[in-house]
Amino acid sequence: MHEMSIAHEVCRITEEHVGADQLTHVVEVGLEVGDQAGVEVANLEFCLEILLSSPPFGHGRPAITRLAGDDLRLSYVEIDDGSPDD
Amino acid sequence: MAVRTIEVRERVMAKNDELAASVRERLQSAEIAAFNLVSSPGSGKTTLLERTLDTLGEELGVAVITGDVQTQNDADRIAKHTTRLVQAVVTGGACHLDARQISTALDALDLDETRLLFIENVGNLVCPASWSLGEEAKIVVFSVTEGEDKPLKYPKMFRESRYAILNKIDLLPHVPFDVDRALGYARDVNPDLQFFLTSALTGDGLDPWFAFLRSRILSGNPA
Repeated sequence: MHEMSIAHEVCRITEEHVGADQLTHVVEVGLEVGDQAGVEVANLEFCLEILLSSPPFGHGRPAITRLAGDDLRLSYVEIDDGSPDD
Repeated sequence: MAVRTIEVRERVMAKNDELAASVRERLQSAEIAAFNLVSSPGSGKTTLLERTLDTLGEELGVAVITGDVQTQNDADRIAKHTTRLVQAVVTGGACHLDARQISTALDALDLDETRLLFIENVGNLVCPASWSLGEEAKIVVFSVTEGEDKPLKYPKMFRESRYAILNKIDLLPHVPFDVDRALGYARDVNPDLQFFLTSALTGDGLDPWFAFLRSRILSGNPA
């Protein structure tokens, strides 16, 4: 069940990049997961769904892309910055 | 709503790997060879460590860090076979050790008196494969009471390990276990694996294991 540890690490990296005061605005966290990464994707997705929709996050969700290899990477974070559309 | 995308492109394990690199540097500068013992529960890691400490504990300055989900039972068992402090890491539910826990555990060990360090990881053939602890090598332990196909079922663990110990060979007359098939499966996954066939209980096959450990210390700077 190391997926929960990995999910917590994803949240820590997310906070590092967007700042603690912006976590409620996170709408999507993009991950790339290799098929040899030793990760159960459905399990990781479930853990992230819980963490990203609970404080200090608001209504975030994971978007996982499967790749070949053993890479496990946080590729992007989408945030709703609250400003109106152009 | 205006959605902004922040490019991150960061490896999720980067922080752990950074801490592991710092542990590795610390161990290398103290000229300590460190091995991460990984296995399923009940393969005989603790008994192997007891026998190893009985024979080499003083000679090679062996220190041990144990990891368990609950209880310090393994650490208590091992403590009866060494005068050194045994560092017990109770993970409280986590299925693996990480580099930060090893870094903290090292603070309590007398590194000047240590030449060989064993990290007995949480019994689990899945999760510990993903976490580098700053070790010289992972050693996967499996036993003849498990299926021959363990290497095929848990390939990442066997791929990440440099050495494999097939333990409990004293039970071979009593169990339907094909050694050649098991070693073949392991080689299919990792052709570079070096094997030891042991019975930690009876002592059979331990001499090559002890000779290997002596050679790692005598070689000076473990690769």
